[in-house]
Amino acid sequence: MRKGRFSSDAGIFLVLIGIAILFEAIGWSVRGGSFLFNGQRLLVMVLQVAIIGLLAVGVTQVILTGGIDLSSGSVVALAAMIAASLAQAPSARAVFPSLVDLPVVVPVVAGLATGALCGLVNGSLIAYTRIPPFIATLGMMVSARGLARYYTRGQPVSMLTDEYTLLGSGAIPVVIFLAVAAMFHVLLRHTRYGKYTYAIGANEQAARVSGVRVERHLVLVYTVAGILAGLGGVVTSARAASGQAGMGMSYELDAIAAAVIGGTSLSGGVGRIAGTVIGTIILGIMTSGFTFIGLDAYIQDIVKGGVIVSAVVADRFRHRGALV
Amino acid sequence: MPMVMVRVGAVMALLASLAICGCGGSSGPARPLIGVSMAHFDDNFLTILRTAMVEHAGKTPDVDLQFVDAQGDVGRQLSQIQNFAAQGAAAIIVNAADTSATPGMTRIARDAGVPLVYVNRRPAEDTLPAGVVFVGSEDLQAGTLEMEELARLMNHRGNVAIMVGELASNGAQLRTKAVEDVVAKYPGMKVVEKQVGNFQRERGLDLMNNWLTSGTAIDAVAANNDEMAIGAIMAIQQAGVAPGKILVGGVDATPDALAELAKGTLAVTVFQNARGQARGAFDAALTLSRGGKVDSFVWIPFELVTRENYKAFLNR
Repeated sequence: MRKGRFSSDAGIFLVLIGIAILFEAIGWSVRGGSFLFNGQRLLVMVLQVAIIGLLAVGVTQVILTGGIDLSSGSVVALAAMIAASLAQAPSARAVFPSLVDLPVVVPVVAGLATGALCGLVNGSLIAYTRIPPFIATLGMMVSARGLARYYTRGQPVSMLTDEYTLLGSGAIPVVIFLAVAAMFHVLLRHTRYGKYTYAIGANEQAARVSGVRVERHLVLVYTVAGILAGLGGVVTSARAASGQAGMGMSYELDAIAAAVIGGTSLSGGVGRIAGTVIGTIILGIMTSGFTFIGLDAYIQDIVKGGVIVSAVVADRFRHRGALV
Repeated sequence: MPMVMVRVGAVMALLASLAICGCGGSSGPARPLIGVSMAHFDDNFLTILRTAMVEHAGKTPDVDLQFVDAQGDVGRQLSQIQNFAAQGAAAIIVNAADTSATPGMTRIARDAGVPLVYVNRRPAEDTLPAGVVFVGSEDLQAGTLEMEELARLMNHRGNVAIMVGELASNGAQLRTKAVEDVVAKYPGMKVVEKQVGNFQRERGLDLMNNWLTSGTAIDAVAANNDEMAIGAIMAIQQAGVAPGKILVGGVDATPDALAELAKGTLAVTVFQNARGQARGAFDAALTLSRGGKVDSFVWIPFELVTRENYKAFLNR
């Protein structure tokens, strides 16, 4: 159990390289050009999954405790709506006509606080009522999506200030994702926060006996996951220059897939952020690759599902017996 | 004791009115109900349609309107229609979550003897039985208007990329087909890219980013809706492509799209008359519920919106 040493990131990294080479080869025969040797495309690959990556980091630590978070995609939508409504430039269609042109810190903090609150509710329900995380976060998934729609009765929130949209422009979402991932890599491997997280997932009773305040820590972990989803909402609304209640739809499943592809065990206690980052990039490389080789849109999802499962199978074969 | 009875009576009356009109309002149970099942509450265009319907229904105060959200799920929508029928609704308006499932919906309404009005999304049946009508626009027309205008601006020469909406949606299929048909008409033009953006702005942005890196020359992007078109515009701007080098077209004429037209970044959009559809659907439901007759297909025309005439659409 110690810091999840059983899961090596090397295996899944090889899978990533394999998929990339496959697209490179098909790319030359179909497009007559390189898939990988294009800086702009490499950026786009990560850019389009940066939000999912933020959620994946959050859900990785939740899964490490033996839990799950199905609410992250909906929390993205709710945080995006609330943050965007406080980031509007003056216009006839402003949600709060008296609250326009606010400093950019206001919508950002509001978005993060929205996420924190949702996570706090998730964590408290799970830690103190002992209902399964699947149910608690499923409830939040439905309610947060409902709230996001209710907030403006389904109307999109547009005309956002330039300072705010700057947060989502260019490569900034990628920088935010990688910085957050690096921070959580350190946090999970080298601090007490991480040690408790792995300990609870490996054996909750043992953790409790050795003095970990399990309930309090679980609330903290879910709250942190909520904050990351809130951050995802801020960045996605800044990127689209619009808050929409349909944002982040089914992102939670992509985030969980990224974590599991990256070697995080759904039974808890095993997994690393580095793996999750690779898992996220695999999802991004597939989206870009399918578009590059011009794969028929009807076929894409079929192939994507197959690749997700095969990636995990290929990784597990390398570590046969080490993981269940 | 009598006090208690009065209270119980009041509660019963309230419950009864809730059960019948389902809206918890102060209205009595005698007012006829028109139930509306929408495919999505959070779709921008459908929200305009829904809001317009509420507004229009306000002019007919002796009818109650109740909305439910199918959340894109056909199973949920079928149960909602069954529930409306069981509640004794005077008429049901359906914005189909999946247009291929409409024969089942038609059957439920026919069995219950309740008039049914499909709005916006055209049902799969070629002919509709008495008491069932469709109010909407011809999606082929939207794609034709959009692509003909783009083709004109391109002098009928160049490469076209198509952003397709949700694959399961009739609108996406028909608009795409119309765009392809127009391109096929002109020997100097061809479709070089065609991918799905699910009607979403972020997906349009990602798609355009990917196309721009693939090096294919693209002269025009024909998107199935405005949200994807705006995503394409954002990607083009962020990539530093000279303005106007790639023409972008959309459909819906949303307020955001009209703002892009004003800036000159969007070349064309097509106005789908949400208010016209909403009014048409409500009026058809009302007429049918009062025993009147309505044509099986009520067509509300699309209208082309360009840089020259967009101002006329700002308040529609």
